[in-house]
Order: sequence, then C-alpha cells, then structure tokens
Amino acid sequence: MHTSKKECVAMLLAGGQGTRLYSLTRDLAKPAVSFGGKYRIIDFPLSNCINSDIDTIGVLTQYKPFDLNQYIGNGQPWDLDRLNGGVFILPPYMKGETSDWYKGTANAIYQNIEFVDKFSPEYVLVLSGDHIYKMDYAQMLSYHKEKGADCTIAVINVSLEEASRFGIMNTNPDNSVYEFAEKPKQPKSTNASMGIYIFNWAKLRKYLIEDEADKTSQNDFGKNIIPKMLADGQKLFAYNFSGYWKDVGTISSLWEANMDVLDTSSGINLDDSAWKIYARNTAEHPHYVGKNAVIKDSLVTEGCEINGKVVNSVLSTGVEICEGAVVEDSTVMPGAKICKGAVVKYAIVGNNAVVGENAVVGDKQDGMVDGQWQITVVGPNAQVKANSVVPVKAMVD
Amino acid sequence: MKNTMSIIFASDNESKLNELTLHRTTASLPFGGRYRCIDFALSNLVNSAITTIGIITRSNYSSLMDHIRMGRDWDLNRKNSGIAVFPPYASNTSTNVFKGKIEALYGILDYIENSDDEYVVVTNSNIIASIDFDDVYEAHVASGADITMLTYTAQPTTSRRVLVESDLSGRVRGMRITRSASEEYFEVGLFCYLFNRKQLIQLVEDSYERGKIDFERDILQANLDVLNIHAYKVKGHAALVDDIKSYYRESMSILESDVRDSLFDSVGKIFTKVKDSVPTRYCKEAKVVNSLIADGCKINGTVENSILFRGVVVEDGAEIRNSIVMEGGRIMKGSKLNYAITDKDVTVTEDKSLGGSEFYPVVVVKNKTV
Repeated sequence: MHTSKKECVAMLLAGGQGTRLYSLTRDLAKPAVSFGGKYRIIDFPLSNCINSDIDTIGVLTQYKPFDLNQYIGNGQPWDLDRLNGGVFILPPYMKGETSDWYKGTANAIYQNIEFVDKFSPEYVLVLSGDHIYKMDYAQMLSYHKEKGADCTIAVINVSLEEASRFGIMNTNPDNSVYEFAEKPKQPKSTNASMGIYIFNWAKLRKYLIEDEADKTSQNDFGKNIIPKMLADGQKLFAYNFSGYWKDVGTISSLWEANMDVLDTSSGINLDDSAWKIYARNTAEHPHYVGKNAVIKDSLVTEGCEINGKVVNSVLSTGVEICEGAVVEDSTVMPGAKICKGAVVKYAIVGNNAVVGENAVVGDKQDGMVDGQWQITVVGPNAQVKANSVVPVKAMVD
Repeated sequence: MKNTMSIIFASDNESKLNELTLHRTTASLPFGGRYRCIDFALSNLVNSAITTIGIITRSNYSSLMDHIRMGRDWDLNRKNSGIAVFPPYASNTSTNVFKGKIEALYGILDYIENSDDEYVVVTNSNIIASIDFDDVYEAHVASGADITMLTYTAQPTTSRRVLVESDLSGRVRGMRITRSASEEYFEVGLFCYLFNRKQLIQLVEDSYERGKIDFERDILQANLDVLNIHAYKVKGHAALVDDIKSYYRESMSILESDVRDSLFDSVGKIFTKVKDSVPTRYCKEAKVVNSLIADGCKINGTVENSILFRGVVVEDGAEIRNSIVMEGGRIMKGSKLNYAITDKDVTVTEDKSLGGSEFYPVVVVKNKTV
C-alpha cells in the first residue's frame, strides 16, 4: 500500500496506568479521564495536533484501552479521519516469535518503528496523554529546524521548590541543553521538561535501536534516550513554553486543573475560537436548570438536570443535581447523580457515581497541605449511601 | 426496520412561521436550544435503522444544506444509502417549482423507483416527537394496512389540519381537512405516513397524471374506501410546529420534565450538527431558573422560563423572561426581554426592553441589532 510522505508524525504515549489517580483509572486509561465538563484529557494533545497541522498521529495504548479506543474511533471529532494519515491506535503486537508489552516510553516507539517509517517523516513529535495545555507544535517544529537540532524538548518555567519534582534541562545561553537532571535535589535551573519532544526521525530511530539492544536500559526517554544523546554530543535544544500547562496525574492536580478552567485568569481558556479543543460529542439535550436551582461561577454542559445549588464547580455531561443538594468547589464527571440534600465539597465525583440523599462528601479546604489539595474522591460507579459521611481525602470505590 | 426508505419534505407550503422562515426552510428552523426541526425526523429514522433518506426542498435551502452537509452527525454518511437532498424541482417545460407534495414526489420518482426497499416513510419535517418506526412498522403489518398514517391528539389550529375518524380497529373511516381552530381535542394527522413503496409510486403517478395536487385530499381522503388506511397514534409527546404560536408553545413545553423525557429519553437520542461549543459558563451574577440552556453560553444576568441556544451571552443586569434566544444572541447590560423570540445572531443593546405576550411573542429577525 502506498503511503504518502509526512513531514512530521506525532506519537502520543497513552499507555500509562495512571496509578496516582486511583479509582478514576481503575477501568480506564488516564488519557480517557473526563476533564473540564465535556472533554477527556487526550482531547488536548489531539486538538493541539490538528490545530498545528499535524494530521498523522499514532496513539500508543496498552492499559485498559477499550474506552480510549472507542473514544478515539476513526478520529472524526478531531478531523483526523483522513484518506492519508489520520489517527492510529497502536497497541503492542506480535512480531514473529515474540511479543512484548511496552516496557517504557522509548520502547513503545521502538516497537512501532515500522509504523513511523511508513510515512517517511523527517521529524517525530513525541507527546504524552496526561497534560492539559494548548500549544502550537508547528512553532516548536520551526524552532527545531531553525536551531538545526537533533532533538528539541519543550520546557516550562517552574518554581524552584517544584523543580525537584521534574526532569530539569540545564541550558547554555543559546538554549542548547548541556545537562539533563531527573528530579534533582538541588536544581540548577527551573526549566522543567514537559515530556514533549521533537526528534529528527533518522536520529531517533538509530538511538531507539541502540537503546533496545542495551539490556540495562529502562527504555525511557527521560532516563535513557535524552542522557545518551547528550553524552554523544548530539544537538539538544530547549523550547520555552510559557502558556498554561498542567500534569494531571494526581487527584490534587486533576481537581486543580478543573478549577483552573473556571478561573478566567488561569490561562487555560477553552472558549478560544482560534484554538478549539475538540471532543467526541454525546447527543444530549441542552441542560435544564430547575425552578429552585442556584448556579454560580460554574461550568455546566449538555444533558445536565440541575435542581440544587452549584457553586464554583464543573459539571460534565448528563449530571443530575437534585433538589436541596449542594455542590461546591468540585468536579462531577459524566452521568453522576447527587441526590436530594447531599453536600459535596472539594471533591471529584466519578462517572455514573451516585451520592445518596443527605450524604456529605468532603469539606472545604483552606489551602494545600504539602503541595496537595485534600480532595475527596467518589470513584466511578460508586454508591455513597444516604446520610453517610465521606471524610476529607477519603476515596469511595 | 429494514427494507424502508424515507422521503422528507423540508418545506411546509402552508407554514405561517413568517419571520422565522424568511431565510430558511421549516426543516432548518432552530428548535429546543440546539436542534433544527428536521433533527427529530432524521434521528427517529436513523434510530429505527432507516438510512436511505431523500429530502425534498422547495426554497431557501442553503441553511438546510449547511446543517446536514454529508449527514455525518446522524451517521448518514454511508457508502450505501445515506442522504440525498433534492433541490427544488421544475420540469423542463415549466418555470415554476412544484406546487405540492404530489408533484414534488413525481419529480423524484426515479429516486424512489431505484430503491429496492419495500416501504417508504413519507414525512414532513416540522414534527416534534420521538417516534419508534419499528413499532409503526409492526402495527402496519399487524393491521394489514395499505397506508399507516401517524396521528396525535390535539386541538386543531388555524393551520391546515387533517382530522381523523378511525374505527375500533384503527382503520380510518373519515377524514376532515380543515383550518378551523377548535377548543376540542381530535385525533389529528401528523403528516407522516408509512407506504408500500410500489403503491406510493403508483398513487403518485396516477394522481399527477390526473392533475391532482393535494397529497392529503387526493391520495388519502379520496381513497378512504379503496385503500386500507390505518391510524397509528404516536406514543408520548408529539407536536406540529407551523406558526409562531405553536413554535413558542412547543419550545416552552420542553421546560416540562415529562416532555423532555418523552422527546430525548424514550426511543433514542436526537442528533444534531456538532459545533464543538464549550460548556456554558455561569458567572457571579447569574440567576437562572426553569430554563433550557445549550452549550457555549456565558451568563451573568437573569434568565427565567426561557430557552438559550448555543453561544448566547447574557451580560450582567440583563433580564430574560419567557423568551427564546437563538444561537449567537447577545443580550447586553440592563436590557430586558419578555415573551420575545430573537433569531440567530441578534444583539439587544444596553438598557433596551422588548416584550410581547404569551400568545403573540415579539420576533426579532436574524442578525438584527435592537
């Protein structure tokens, strides 16, 4: 089959288990977790790709892939149903006598070298499926070309305290990287890697093959490929990104990112006609606001029925808030129901969960404790019994 | 329901929707916050696996084409079957577009003949209902009818109505075509029929050749003794939208939960064009009660007993009561709407007041700034 050439192919790492999201990812890959009312996390990198004119995307899946696969489908919601290119789900597969799970981020791409080769690209963009941000990859690509780089790594400026939680790029004045420090105790700079890389494909291909042959390697971009390329004197450049970016890998950060969507000054403006975030649509009717409802500082989407009070919260598709119920500073995922008189504060309520009548879930927080919000979680499909109390930071499965 | 195709009439010749259909067909009339009227017909058909659908247009059909495109949002972009939109038909010898449904159907006989389906659903596009055509089909077969006509119980209005008298078996024995309003409830035709395809072809040909124009009068009423016509009462909520009054009343009925359940949660989903709007944002001063709100709105004022379509902005201090604001409407600071219908992209500037009454809501035409 003839496949026409693409300048840049994106490889989206979507196989992570997302263990730090606990029950939210028990039956679901992290990139498929709901976000911001009508989105999933993966809508962000997919929409960024199509908005950056990158129309060939391999999505590497392995953990609980069904929901994610079904969600992506033929890619039509992102305009990725293409005759040539488009979106491809790439699970691990049998190769001759052997078959392997994806051992690490680099190994996942290694196992799909043949896929990338089909498009004979000059460049490969490596993305991950657990970040909320809007970014023009085309600009990063022109920067990569301008610098004549072998690899360009997107970095974001973080605070010095945070820096020890990230992979830090130490750079020369021309932004070339001389050192990469994974979670340094004493960070030399605050340029944190965003896990977004552009490689010259020919070069990456070679490094992937070598890395695979090295039995001691963990086959990881941050731990192995980048340090190896640096050691070999390849040209690595940092690309400074200054917009909103958040890793939503923890309950606290996922909640916080949802609250950021409510805050018009946070920088993650979803209502941006020049940079739309696309999502698969669910044919629900417009939401209905009842006679005794109160809604303030909140986002509400299709299919919701609201008869209670909603303040500073994000409600996803088809959420029902019954009479007398109160939802404050929380995010409620698709299809969940908050029954009469229940109170939900500083919480994430999972898909199709039910909070019983007069139950109390979570409580108000004054601020973070050790850099974490004390968020209460009601897991997907969980049932909180009527009149019960779910304490702060508890998780109901 | 396999073996069935459908023909939808996009325009209702009799419509009295005035300003609202100035630039569009009845089919593409915005309804219920995010839909167009034809979404109900299309979704009902698709939900019953009827996927060969011809749409006959008469005039002003560009908004309809823009809405339907290739039919993808209804899963109708198929290799086999799918949507065919027929522009207004005029025969080689005449300069007028078709006069009525018979002539319109005659104009696309090739399309109907080319199908090998056994049945055809022939329907208007201004029916607001969730209809299970599988159930209609079963009733059709069980009754041994030649034609099954869908009906509902309603008060006749001054728009054209077909009042049906059926016997205990459901066979239609009498038919009255009227424009007299009445307080009394009747079994009323919904302008939606299930035909045997070959019989429809024959009836249309025969009627056209005899110079007949009126589908209901010349094909149905005239043949009551010859053809076995059965009535099928649609379950749940049903309505015909064909004047401002019925448009307003039927829109507002969606604020009732049993009507919402019946329309959106009984048979299947109602699909419409996907627009990738963001969720609606409620700001500090938002006071919204008893209203239906589509995505993409920004609300910082008061909204009561109203319907907001996608992307409506309600600025602080603005008050919207008993009104319908279509897509892209902008109601600026301090302005008040009461019993108003504002068409797409209407701006009501600061401190303006617009009001009608329950039976005569004021209508502001598309793109207007008040």
